[in-house]
Amino acid sequence: MSWHRTSRKYHKWLMLFVGLQFVIWSISGTYMVILDIDYIHGDTLVTDKQISLKSGQVNYSMAKLYIEYPKAKNVELTNMLDTAVYRFKDSENKYLLSADTGKSLLPLSEADAVKVAKYLYEDANVAISQVSLISENPPFELSARHLPVWRIDFDDFASPSFYISVNSGELVTKRHTYWRLFDWMFSFHVMDYVEEDPSNKLLLLVSIFALIASLFGVVLTYFRVLKPKKRRAV
Amino acid sequence: MKLIKSLHKWLSVLVALQLLVWLGSGLFFNLMDHSKARGNEYRIKAPESVAIEHERLLEPSVLLKRQTKNVNSIKQIKLLDQPYYLLNHSRGLYDHFYNEYTLLNAHTGKLKVIDDVMATKLAQQTYGGNAAISSSNKISSPFDDFPKEKNAAWQINFDDELNTSVYIDASSGRLVGHSNDDKRFADFFFMLHFMDYGTVGGFNNWQIIFFALLTLLFCITGFIWTLELLIEGRYKTSRES
Repeated sequence: MSWHRTSRKYHKWLMLFVGLQFVIWSISGTYMVILDIDYIHGDTLVTDKQISLKSGQVNYSMAKLYIEYPKAKNVELTNMLDTAVYRFKDSENKYLLSADTGKSLLPLSEADAVKVAKYLYEDANVAISQVSLISENPPFELSARHLPVWRIDFDDFASPSFYISVNSGELVTKRHTYWRLFDWMFSFHVMDYVEEDPSNKLLLLVSIFALIASLFGVVLTYFRVLKPKKRRAV
Repeated sequence: MKLIKSLHKWLSVLVALQLLVWLGSGLFFNLMDHSKARGNEYRIKAPESVAIEHERLLEPSVLLKRQTKNVNSIKQIKLLDQPYYLLNHSRGLYDHFYNEYTLLNAHTGKLKVIDDVMATKLAQQTYGGNAAISSSNKISSPFDDFPKEKNAAWQINFDDELNTSVYIDASSGRLVGHSNDDKRFADFFFMLHFMDYGTVGGFNNWQIIFFALLTLLFCITGFIWTLELLIEGRYKTSRES
């Protein structure tokens, strides 16, 4: 058989098995390159508030803090909901105290979680559609190490959700429809169909056959585009 | 159907080379050593330093009174066993976004500027290899090893077989990361896969969007062609195909 005929045969047969994955690669790849990654990661959902601390807000001293929490590490005086707070941790827990009174603001109440979510969300006028406490069985998009969290769903374009930690008061992650879809697209792109297979033999095998099939395709392009007359001769 | 076949043929001319690059680099990602590609061959956790004498710490409220600039936050940190306060004046969404800091000695309140000597010591704390330092430079962003970093950094180069470079945020002392030739080699393939010829560390560029759309059309026309061959019964195990 000539190169031309051989290539046609193998291109045709290999593509019967890997052609669908080519379609999946190109759809998921196109999706991922077109949507801006910073938008996907929800960077546009949160405000970048620059709020100046005032010394008058701080009536609970650092010295007192260390007396009450001698194992405190990485103490940070910062802002939450326009009031000064201390954030720190020890070897086990995270802490959040009012810098005015020294009172602990944890575990974060539902009302405070809603306030924090509204405060961080880029549009102050958006309504919250649902608030739920997740203590076990986290959804696909949330790592179990963040539990327990408050999930705050906003009534806005692309159904954004904020996940706010009960034990630290921090925004641990966020999601919206296009990010959720992106996660799926990525899984399809790397053929992550079989869970718990880090070596991903399926992707390796399909990639190799896809490469071979494509090389036969290149031979076909050569014969049909650059040497179209030869085609008659075969 | 004629149009589909004609499109497939001519699109193949346009996307062939890029498609092979995508498949080849994709195959590389599958086969590469992922732990090596992270560039952390010699990275170690900086040793747990001595406990700070918190009785001697200045009160943050005192520092606030002295500051004329806007202060978003004051963080008590330790660098080379010495406590400091890190004042943030302009906060980015992430550490690697643009941030503006002042570093103050937490006992005296004296301004500390991270110089060559300090940056070198900070880098050495995170380096587990035996090699000596070959050079250190203060560089502004963007830099090739960490294209998404937006802050100026100290680049500390080690004279090992992997040409390890350690990056320390020049204003906060934060470890930006380690890089080495293994990581740079892998990054080259990411650059190819993402068509990131300007090396901005991303895949949202016009050239990849253009080729992605062409490739999408190419794959769909090919898929339809395959379906047609199937329907027409052209997939036969005999030799006559």
